[in-house]
Parts: sequence; C-alpha cells; structure tokens
Amino acid sequence: MNMLEIKNLHVAVGGKEILKGLTLSIGAGEVHAVMGPNGSGKSTLAYLLAGRAGYEITQGSVTYCGEDLNTLAPEERAAKGLFLAMQYPVEIPGVTTLTFLKTALNAQHRARGEKEFDAMSVLKLVRKKAEALKVSEDMLKRALNVGFSGGEKKRLEILQMALFEPKLAVLDETDSGLDIDALKLVAEGVNALRSPSRAMLVITHYQRLLNYIVPDRIHVLAHGKIVAEGGKELAHELEAKGYEHIAGKAA
Amino acid sequence: MNAPVPNIFVDAIDARSLPDWLDQRRADAVATLHAQGVPHRRIEEWKYSDLKTALEPANDSVATTAAWSIDKVPRGVTLFDLADISSAPQWVQMHFGKAAAAESVPAASLALARGGFALRVARNASVADAVRVNFTTGGHVRALIVLEDGAELTLIESQSTDGAFRNTGIEIVVGANARLTHVRFAQAAPKAVQVEDVAVCVARGGLYRAHLFNAGAELSRLTLRMTLKDLGANAELSGVSVLGGQLHADVTTHVYHAAGETQSVQLFKHVAGGKSRAIYQGKITVAKGADKSDSRQTAKALLLGERAEADLKPELEIFADDVKCAHGAAVGDLDADSLFYLRARGISEPEARHMLLRAFLREAVDGIEKESVRDAIWQSVEDALPRAMVNAL
Repeated sequence: MNMLEIKNLHVAVGGKEILKGLTLSIGAGEVHAVMGPNGSGKSTLAYLLAGRAGYEITQGSVTYCGEDLNTLAPEERAAKGLFLAMQYPVEIPGVTTLTFLKTALNAQHRARGEKEFDAMSVLKLVRKKAEALKVSEDMLKRALNVGFSGGEKKRLEILQMALFEPKLAVLDETDSGLDIDALKLVAEGVNALRSPSRAMLVITHYQRLLNYIVPDRIHVLAHGKIVAEGGKELAHELEAKGYEHIAGKAA
Repeated sequence: MNAPVPNIFVDAIDARSLPDWLDQRRADAVATLHAQGVPHRRIEEWKYSDLKTALEPANDSVATTAAWSIDKVPRGVTLFDLADISSAPQWVQMHFGKAAAAESVPAASLALARGGFALRVARNASVADAVRVNFTTGGHVRALIVLEDGAELTLIESQSTDGAFRNTGIEIVVGANARLTHVRFAQAAPKAVQVEDVAVCVARGGLYRAHLFNAGAELSRLTLRMTLKDLGANAELSGVSVLGGQLHADVTTHVYHAAGETQSVQLFKHVAGGKSRAIYQGKITVAKGADKSDSRQTAKALLLGERAEADLKPELEIFADDVKCAHGAAVGDLDADSLFYLRARGISEPEARHMLLRAFLREAVDGIEKESVRDAIWQSVEDALPRAMVNAL
C-alpha cells in the first residue's frame, strides 16, 4: 500500500479550479519532488494535504495510509504523522517558541494515546535536535518566528519535523529565501530524517534544492496537472530547457 | 428646563448638612446633575453605554451609599472616613470634590454619597505594601487619594459583583515626582450596573499608572480623566477586558496634556465573545504650549462571535506645535493563518484559539512592573477566558 495516493484530484479555491486531475503516489521510504512554475498549483497541493480551510475537493481523492484525508481536521492529520513544512511560517507574538513546541508535541502524543512530556524532558529533547540545525537557545526563548530571519524560520520548520518524527513530510518551497549556506544546512537536516519508514514530498520551483535533497522521483506540475515524470535527471532537463518546453510537449 | 432625573440620582440631595468649605463644590455638582441629568445614548460620550435605559428598572429606588473596606492601612498612609466629613482635615478640604462637577456621574456621587474614604501618603514616603480597597453593595461612593511630593503607593481596587447599581467617584492627586500604581479589578457582574469616574491630576515629574482588568457587567463604564498638569508629568495605562455572555464593558479615557514634555502611553486589549460588547473611547488633548509632549495610544479588540461587538474610538485634539502623537485601533477575528499553523502542528482548534487569545492579551499584561499585580491580573484573565470562549447564547 502506498503511503500517499492521490487520484484524479480536482481542487477549487474560492470557486476557481486550481488542481485539474492530479494523480500521484508515494510509498514509504521514498522521496518525491513536485516541481512546477508559479501558479501551477504547488502550494494548493501542499495546503490541501495539510487540511487548510477553503480548499475544496471537487473530484478525485487523497488517501493517506489507507484513510480518506478529506475527512480529517488539520490537527488529526498532524497526529497521524503528516507534517507540512510551510513556505511562510507564521509569526505568533506572545507565544514563545519552546512553549509552542511543547504544546504541539504533547498534543500529538495525547491524540495518539502516548505519554506526554514534562517541561524538562521537552527542553532536553529540543536542545538535542536544535543543535544540529543551529537553532539557538535564544530563538527558543523568543516569540514564535517573530523577528526570525528567513533562514531561521526554515530551520525551525525542520526542527519541528525532527521533533514530531512524521510519517509523511511535505516541504513547501523550503528553499525559498535561503542563501546557499542556509540551504545546505536545511537539506542536511532533511536528509538526516530520511528513513525507510518515512516518505517525503519536496515541492519546489527550482532544481537547486534537489542537488542537496536528491529525490527518487520527480513530478512536473503545470496548470494543475502532472505533465511529466521521471527520475532525478528530469530536474536537470528542466533547468536546461525550462518549464514551457516540457509543459508544452505534454499539451 | 431641568432634564428628568431618576430618583436613584437625585433623592435627598438637599437634605444634608455639610461643612461650609464643601457648600459651593456640592452646589456645582447639583447644578451639573440637574442640567445634564442621567447620561444616555444620544450624548456622544455615552453613545455605547445608555445609563439612563439601564437604570430605568431602578427608578423607584432611593439613592444609597455603597460600602467600602480597606483591610490594612500600611505605615506612611493616613486614612480618613468621609462619613465624618464635618471633621475633615486640611488635606481633605483642599482636594475633595473639586473635580466632580464636570459631568453628571461624578457630580451625582459627590452630591449623593454619604460616605467613602480619603487617603494620603506623606511627602517622600514610599509605601511597600499595597492598599487594597473593596467597593461593595449598591449606591454612590466617593474616594480621594492624595500622594504628596515624592510619595509612592500601589492601590488595588476591587469592584465587587453585588449591588444593582454602584457609582464610584475617585479623585486622585499625584504630587511632584510621586508615583501611584492604580490596579482595578472588576469581575463579571451580569446583574449589576457599575459606573466609575476617576479624575487624576499629576504634578511635575509625577506618574499615574493604571492596570485594569474588566470582565464586564450588565453595564460597566469606567471614565478616566487625567490631567498632566506640569512639566514632565506621566500617565501609563494598560487594560484588558475579557467579556462573554451579554456583558458590557466601556473604558473611556481622556488624557489632557496641559504642560510641556508630558507623556502618556495607553495599551488596551479586549476580547468579546457571545453577545458581549467591548468599548474603548480614548481622547487625547494636547493644550497650546504643551510642546514636546508625547502620547501613544493602542486599542485592539478580538471578536469571538458574530454577535459580539467592539467599538474603539480614538480621538485627538492637538493645539501645540511640537508634539508626538501615535494612535492605532483595530477590531478583528483571530488570525486564520496563525490558527491553521497551530492546528497543522497537531494543536486542536479550541486549544489553538485559547493559545492565540492568551497571546493577544498577554501583551497588555506583560508590561506590568510588579510581579504580584501582573500575576493577579493574568489569573483573572485565565479565569474569564472560558466564559468569553463559549459561543452559545
């Protein structure tokens, strides 16, 4: 059974159809990339998977671990091991990063009927994982994402991924706004989490990120549909010839 | 023509025998009361708080005096019971009842209350223990707080939830370089009409600081009128209102920058659920010649239900040339992006809402210097939030 199974998916946002028959499946242990130009529907796919309100499935289905994803609230998806690293992590003044991490981690554990962590053990766990991602003690004490640089925000997203240990991680434009050093750091963090039991869907505009997070398979999204598929070499072809070439050939 | 006035406001105005020094002040108050009557919604400043309508069921009642209590009078504080007004000391005679005739609500408490208290902190005395005053039962009541030059005090005021109607009138005199921290708690009083008028005058280099917690009443109106009288006088206000059910809370402030280099800072946060109504009206006047004055005012409200309402009304009147004035007001719902972010991390919708509400209110509480006060106000916020979050009728 595939971990994620998307069949002929049509999604409308505000009455406008954005995804128009997308089909895609990912098995455990696999890393897939979805590449596409602006407006192709990449972020719509990411938000739909995470369960954001306002994204309506008009046709087709999304199955996650055998379950119809459409019936689950965002928090239920998270508790069942689905994680979305967001393109634009939200700033929340008045909630410290550490408090947020503890609340989220324990909420997921509680929902799964697992043991909750006390403040001390959360701190220990977070510190251990934070070190590799260069998330400083100071960042943990500050309000969530408030005043964080672009790189700091993305590192914190990956720290959450390391902490929550999801089954399926969706990374939405994790490379956007990162310089090359920050990109390498984030990619190392992601690679460290590759495992036979975990699937990843890396969504990106540029081939650059895929030099560091090498996917098993690449899907090219244009106008709401997958227009080309292939191995990692497809990224280089896209880089050389551009999206129009491939999307045009498919049409 | 005198405006019609319910009995609860006018009963027995003329039946009392008062010392000479108070005669004119009381006569002025009575004149104001007769001229203006009970405020109602067609008076601009009372547009959102129709006191007259709220008092209609009480028309047949007679005016009484509300009770007050102070547990302990710390060293350095002198307390005088206003029930003994005929033997008032010089400092009471000098200040009492001077700032009451401007509006009918404080005029009524001056004209009708037969009790209350006055307290004084002597020159340069810094009182470590807070003075706690509790106002209870229905009726009118007066208070006078005098901080002599260089004095320092924390006053913790609680408005109890009993009594159908209570009208509290407080005059505060902050001497040169004196500092008063005024903390006010008003827990949810669904069956009470509570109005309060606080008139503050701050002398050179003095500081009046207020931290307010308000869970609303059937009608709750707090008017804070502050005059920054001399060079370098300061006012710092922070307040949170957490309302649910059909509760109402109106905080109306007027800061009058009368002199140069005066500063005022205000930060108000309101959360309104159910069918409640949160009001903030903040007027700032900078008088001619009050140059290099600095005033900042922020009021924000979150509405938790379709039938909750918030009215935020900032108003600036500037007659000086070289001043800094910044104000902002915003009414909204919880941020959808933030809510989704937290839920996508596994936090349930109710818990995520609760987190965001606490974060929103936190800002207006975190700045409180004294830890015990900050903790007490935060505890009241925590206690009041579940009620505000109930989205039923």
